[in-house]
Amino acid sequence: MSTASAGMTVRRSKAAGGIRASAARLFAWWWDLLLAFSLLGLLRFVAPLPFLNEVIIFSIYTIGCNFLLGRVGFISFGQPAYLAVGAYATAFYLYYFGTNPYLGILIGLGAGMAVTLLVGPLFVRLRSDYFALVNLALAVIIYYLMQKVLADITHGDNGLWFLTQISSTPVLDLSRPDQFFVFACIVGLAVWAFYKYLDDSIFGACCLAAKLNDDKLKFLGYSNYGIRLLAFVIANSTTALAGAMYAVYLGFVSPEITSPARAADPVVVTILGGAGTLYGPIVGSLAYTGMKDLISRVMVNWELVVGFLIVFIMLAGEQGIWGTLQPRLKKLFTRRRKSSGGGEQ
Amino acid sequence: MIDAHLLVSGVIFGLSIGSIYFLMTIGLSLCFGLMRIISLDQLLYYSLGAYLTYSISLATGSLWLGVLGGVVVAAVVSRAVERLIFQRIYQRELTFSMITSFGILIGGVGVIKYFWGLVPRPVAVPIAAQVDVLGTAVPAYRLVVIAIALAVYAGIWLFLHRTIIGKAIRAGIEDAEHVEGLGINVHRLFTLTFVIAGALSGLAGALHAPLIMVDPQMGLEVLAFAFMVVIIGGLGSIKGTLISSLIVGQVISLGSLIYAPLAQMAPFAVMLLILLVRPTGLYGSSLVKR
Amino acid sequence: MKNGRDMLTVSGLNVAYGESKVLFDISFSVGPDQIVACVGRNGAGKTTLLKSIAGFLKPTSGSIATADADLVGIAPYAVARMGIKYVPQDKKVFSDLTVRENLELASYVTKDYGWDRITGYFPKLRQLMDRKAGYLSGGERQMLMIGRAILGNPKLLLVDEPTEGLAPSFVTHLKDVFREVSRTTALVIVEQNLPLVCAIAEKVYALNEGRIVAELIERDAITPEACERHLQPAAGAAGGAAP
Repeated sequence: MSTASAGMTVRRSKAAGGIRASAARLFAWWWDLLLAFSLLGLLRFVAPLPFLNEVIIFSIYTIGCNFLLGRVGFISFGQPAYLAVGAYATAFYLYYFGTNPYLGILIGLGAGMAVTLLVGPLFVRLRSDYFALVNLALAVIIYYLMQKVLADITHGDNGLWFLTQISSTPVLDLSRPDQFFVFACIVGLAVWAFYKYLDDSIFGACCLAAKLNDDKLKFLGYSNYGIRLLAFVIANSTTALAGAMYAVYLGFVSPEITSPARAADPVVVTILGGAGTLYGPIVGSLAYTGMKDLISRVMVNWELVVGFLIVFIMLAGEQGIWGTLQPRLKKLFTRRRKSSGGGEQ
Repeated sequence: MIDAHLLVSGVIFGLSIGSIYFLMTIGLSLCFGLMRIISLDQLLYYSLGAYLTYSISLATGSLWLGVLGGVVVAAVVSRAVERLIFQRIYQRELTFSMITSFGILIGGVGVIKYFWGLVPRPVAVPIAAQVDVLGTAVPAYRLVVIAIALAVYAGIWLFLHRTIIGKAIRAGIEDAEHVEGLGINVHRLFTLTFVIAGALSGLAGALHAPLIMVDPQMGLEVLAFAFMVVIIGGLGSIKGTLISSLIVGQVISLGSLIYAPLAQMAPFAVMLLILLVRPTGLYGSSLVKR
Repeated sequence: MKNGRDMLTVSGLNVAYGESKVLFDISFSVGPDQIVACVGRNGAGKTTLLKSIAGFLKPTSGSIATADADLVGIAPYAVARMGIKYVPQDKKVFSDLTVRENLELASYVTKDYGWDRITGYFPKLRQLMDRKAGYLSGGERQMLMIGRAILGNPKLLLVDEPTEGLAPSFVTHLKDVFREVSRTTALVIVEQNLPLVCAIAEKVYALNEGRIVAELIERDAITPEACERHLQPAAGAAGGAAP
């Protein structure tokens, strides 16, 4: 786990060594991110494109939940709510107003931030169990909203179709899956760099501290409320971003993405990958999507597997796949990376 | 103006829905109060109660036998789950029990799908008769449901206030460690409470079955509403649960008379309002770490 | 001093909360019907010690044993049923239950409904029987807690800072009650109130930063001044026992 010292370590005053040392430090900070996304990129040659696009978007969807649980200590069963906000905002734009997918995604992200800022102040005051459940309630409300109440503009269960309305854009044509994949990887890299930065920062340390000991942090003069609110906004805006990306990728949005059945997805992937780890969401996404594909060819009964998987992982120590692998890998590399300040990966 | 007949049947409808929610959420409240866990798997026992009622009433022609079977099976399964899983995790924090019980719920949905398939099924209402209430024809079955819920509330109250075990449970809700210090085996209290919760959830499902169709997702669909009830009333308080179920039942029912599409969302608004003023619900107990 | 085999023997006890060690190598004994006091400053580990004996904390090493049984690893309720009752420091009673119901719970487990003895020690409780325990004052709660614990005639009472926050007259009353109780029950009292402790204790252990730094067994040696001396935060105090 990131300790409070991690932030200090990275910020240590630039020692002598000049350009060479700075470059080395830069590389040391970025190398795992670049490696992770290069590996993902390489998977392009072995795995089908739809699978990979799904995995990346799903990872971005999950990292918000992962951050909330692993750093702030709050589980939310209502992540689909923010996914839907992002997705529908983008969908509305692309269906009714414009055709630029980049703008659509920005709008989706913006809508997510807006909603998060709206409910955040209330939600974040609550105890962890109430928090989980009000978010779930929000997801269900949005489900009803999109399915019934606003059916005129959302077309209810039929959903909004706008794939043909997405214009080709210069540089990367998002309407084409293979180019979307490149875009997704770039966005992913940016998102992960952001979260890694958070982890290493004072804010990250504060989040962890808030999770471990509320009172002590208050005594130190930090505002738990403020920390939680900021974390909430960041996490759920990320989720909305994923929603926006889903909308553009699929060219289609329906209320199903926020149905109660889908509330489990981000939770499962978070636990599966390893809550609180940086790459947990990616590993979890790969595993989950992969398992789903494989198993649903054999069994219709996906829930059975997911359910018992969650229970099993929780009882076996909560670490998840990457959560278990990562400390071991770290031991392998520790000798070489002694100087680069120990942020969690 | 709303027609008087509609109003009466709306109120009765709301009371019956409220009754179901009440039965479903006492378990959640009790489990939180005594064991400091969130037992989302109670919704699995709800589903089991409903499905067993479906199957048994189909096989025997009697709904009430089905209800009995549903309650028994729900109790048995919850006992097994408590023994296998929850006994290991009582000491962990709330989030842990939430995630784990969620997993149990999802897995349970899978089991239900395996045995009963995906298709929603209807369950025959045992009493087709209508009864005259204040000049309005009201389904007798709904009145029976309300009566059962009231009886259960009375029973729970008597149990908690007039029996020594019930008093031990109330004491444990305040401080389980002190109860143990007296020499009382709190583990048995936990198990008993968990099974009571499971049985009541099963009863809720069993009674609800004739009013809706049983389908594998029913537990998940109802999850959000159950928790809105619990949050409004406050975790840990039986009285809060009762009052809250009444409120939510009426809000949904009368709300749909006023403006149907928003009716389902109205409890959410109520919940938000209440949370603004009281972050632990109307009668909620604050979390006291053991 | 009373004769007979020690009813409780603790040896080499080490207790930790997660990673941080709280008790180091604690060893002491309690004779039957003996009043043993444990004194120390805040944070010395006194409550931890009592909780470990009662079974609420698991030691990392060491043994806790009565004349006929080993206590380590036994669940708290089982320890209580063996006749070792813990009276915690927090003056918490079951507030939603009446005084009567509080006592009923204790009687239910111990099958001891002889409440006369309790009201003999604490006459005030008789008037308070039907009052909800949440409305009791600090002193009344302490009475109730001790009353509850005495039901069933325990072999050993572990009492954690009973006089904290109580009026002097009540403290005197408690002193007499403890003396009475110790006719049939051993007592381990953890206290910061040195005069009280020195007035009734037959043996005093001084606890400092998790270690026993002194054992006073001579009646004459048990004085508040002696205790104070041993409890001075000494630099590098290496548990020297000095009666």
